Amino acid sequence: MTHRSPFVLTALVAAMSFSGLAVAGVTYDDINNDATTTDSIVSYGMGTQGQRYSPLTMVNDTNVDQLQPAWAFSLGGEKQRGQQAQPMIKDGVMYITGSYSRVFAVDARTGKKLWQYDARLPDGIMPCCDVINRGVALIDDLVIFGTLDAKLVALHKDTGKVVWRKTVADYKAGYAITAAPLIVNGKLITGVSGGEFGVVGKIEAYDPTNGELLWTRPTIEGHMGYTYKDGKAIEAGISGGEANKTWPGDLWKTGGGAPWLGGFYDPETNLLLFGTGNPAPWNSHMRKGDNLYSSSRLALNPDDGTITWHFQTTPNDGWDYDGVNELVSFNYKEGNKEIKAAATADRNGFFYVLDRTNGKFIRGFPFVDTITWAKGLDTNGRPIYSEDHRPGAPTESGDQGKTVYAAPAFLGGKNWQPMAYSQDTGLFYVPSNEWGMDIWNESTAYKKGAAYLGAGFTIKPIHDDYIGVLRAMDPKTGKEVWRVKNPAPLWGGVLSTKGNLVFTGNPEGYLMAFNAKNGEKLWEFNTGSGVIGNPVTWDMDGEQYVSVLSGWGGAVPLWGGQVAEIVKDFNQGGMLWTFKIPKPTPVANR
Amino acid sequence: MLSLRVIGLCCCLLLAMPVQAFNITHIRDHDEIIESGYLKVAVYENYPPYSFMQDGQPRGVDVELAKALAAELGVELRLQWMTPDENFDGDLRNHLWKGHYLRPGQIADVMLRAPNDKAYSNMRDDLGLPAHELIHMFGPYQQERWQAAYDPRKIDAVPSIAIFQYHPVGVEEDSIPAFYLASVMNGQLSKMTRHYRNLGQAFAAMETGEVHAVMGTQAEIDWLLAEHADAGMQLTENAYPNMGKQVWDLGMAVHDSNRQLAYALGDIAEAMVLDGRMAALYADYGLRYMLPSYYTDI
Repeated sequence: MTHRSPFVLTALVAAMSFSGLAVAGVTYDDINNDATTTDSIVSYGMGTQGQRYSPLTMVNDTNVDQLQPAWAFSLGGEKQRGQQAQPMIKDGVMYITGSYSRVFAVDARTGKKLWQYDARLPDGIMPCCDVINRGVALIDDLVIFGTLDAKLVALHKDTGKVVWRKTVADYKAGYAITAAPLIVNGKLITGVSGGEFGVVGKIEAYDPTNGELLWTRPTIEGHMGYTYKDGKAIEAGISGGEANKTWPGDLWKTGGGAPWLGGFYDPETNLLLFGTGNPAPWNSHMRKGDNLYSSSRLALNPDDGTITWHFQTTPNDGWDYDGVNELVSFNYKEGNKEIKAAATADRNGFFYVLDRTNGKFIRGFPFVDTITWAKGLDTNGRPIYSEDHRPGAPTESGDQGKTVYAAPAFLGGKNWQPMAYSQDTGLFYVPSNEWGMDIWNESTAYKKGAAYLGAGFTIKPIHDDYIGVLRAMDPKTGKEVWRVKNPAPLWGGVLSTKGNLVFTGNPEGYLMAFNAKNGEKLWEFNTGSGVIGNPVTWDMDGEQYVSVLSGWGGAVPLWGGQVAEIVKDFNQGGMLWTFKIPKPTPVANR
Repeated sequence: MLSLRVIGLCCCLLLAMPVQAFNITHIRDHDEIIESGYLKVAVYENYPPYSFMQDGQPRGVDVELAKALAAELGVELRLQWMTPDENFDGDLRNHLWKGHYLRPGQIADVMLRAPNDKAYSNMRDDLGLPAHELIHMFGPYQQERWQAAYDPRKIDAVPSIAIFQYHPVGVEEDSIPAFYLASVMNGQLSKMTRHYRNLGQAFAAMETGEVHAVMGTQAEIDWLLAEHADAGMQLTENAYPNMGKQVWDLGMAVHDSNRQLAYALGDIAEAMVLDGRMAALYADYGLRYMLPSYYTDI
């Protein structure tokens, strides 16, 4: 810490809870209060409910145009692919993850690197969808993250040295971890990624102090959950009660449903809120039935992993509409009654408002302009399918038969990039995309040297001049209050602040600030590579800071279809940017 | 995650992606290979009887062919084991022209078990551009087809796949037979389809009576029958309606710029097919050998 200026050290000492240079670690209270404490960011989502709302007002709609870089930090090396992490901040240190399962601790005042940890990844690893990671969890003096080979690694916050390491799932079977773990009152909760190799999703709780497994809950009907006591597994009930209720044959054994985007915790109902991925195999004709709990939102008891309720957005999914998108808790007034709600903007193009005490559907509405796969939602929130837009059975004519057009495309009306909720405007700010896809059967496909009837697909932008649309949506009415179009698809998270601001980035490289009430663009800064990370804001030494990772990559360049034309010239990157409004100098005041 | 996890969906577009500047892949041409003293051949990992490890030794008909190719060129053999991608296009990208993004530049000189199929070679992507222009596919050396085996203690005969409405069938998960049985006959066989990590485990389940039949490629089934000759399992003679191709040809693939290597390797394989060494190599593993249509369609 010798590099810090005397002034900074003074400020730091005030924050210390005991003598010496050791700074107090993160407590469970810190995490539970993260949404209202402005000087630290110790949860993914800037609060365990995931609202991504900051009560800070020092930077606001009247002065955001003065925001300037305070420092920037390069993630270095040749490992420049997509950077999707949300920075975490505690006691003047910022913790981020980078592509290829790397972790960095950086001095939040100067951008100086304090330490770096590079996970050694095994040779044969085949993650499906780029080498991204979405961030760390902080608890006590530990920095914990998940790796591409499906391990949890706990590092010491001051040194970056490994304290414990735990295998969550077998990467050889197709598992990985890319989401930030969630810390809830004595437990570390994680999901898993994977889906191509017939895996089954699961949500698990670990003891954050030593990595011991506490409970495991499979996300597919028919699989037994367990709690663990003294290293012994105790049966904790089969997910969904029994097998084969909503799956044919033994396909439930390899049903997919990976909760790969992690989840949030709502302290008011004491529930974990997680989303699950699409079912396997991909083609819906092979697995008639609802295929629970794929493409669903699940509420779990954090004590033992019991599923309290579920809400399935796309039963018998046939379009690759993962149900993983974040379910954000928020309260609103209906007359005099306060409603404990949760909202999610699904891949499938519908925005859902649920009663988060019981999972009941309150209302739903499209948040994209074009939805072809369903005509709408019924009174229970179940889609009214438009069967003409369901991809065909693979055993139907292989001679490039009927082409099915479906919108949204499989990358979703909204993908992983989290929306934000403003407690001031009562609006959700949704980073959405307008695209569709063509899917057709074709006879000429091979896998492992065997011929089969495959399917071809392509993603198509719906409009000539834009794909991305940042939308302000009113969850009480379904009305869109404003929209801002973006040529490339939006792939970065959103942040809202009490300063009447909404921040987000775009693949073109800009971090942007908008007026939360009317969508007017107030500020932008080109970071040099696409922004697909989550912006955050906090205060330190009496000033408000904004940080975001820049580094193009992720799924769009891998799967973009015709979209590849739009994004092919964007350069990859790996840079952490931090902004503040410069203090007026004495000269300027004279 | 993201997802088109799919066996379904072909991502031919990837072939059109620009190669990253830091990731330019070096293609070794014929002379460089000879000079280096080794040939790097990509084969599938854990895929008996084609290519697999047994008692610490690489084995399988593709490994034997790879040995012959290297020996005839007068160089040492180095194997590059492939974890299969969602479809063959992914394997071509990961092992012949670009390398996987976790292993940039680590590519092989030649890949075995590549389709030898004009329609596939000439395929266009969704933008109308050639999907495989970076790849040259040549040298057909085997024909393959689907095959099932059944337990005669449980089933009298398998005249058609319809019988699998009444008898459990074991398949490898995420394989073509798995997709086929789950969807053919309007999904009526799906409730009797049992999924296993690999076909060997499915065959073991047939021996214990858990399933009454298993389905795979002809070579896979022949191999399992030969390895478990005492089990008394038998070949079925049914057809596979709505399967797309009933038979298909397999050959080799190299980078498109590597024609001289392709001519050399193609000549070696052709000589082996014509003088019977190829058939003998399959017989050594207990497999029936079928000539590719290149040699029979005259």
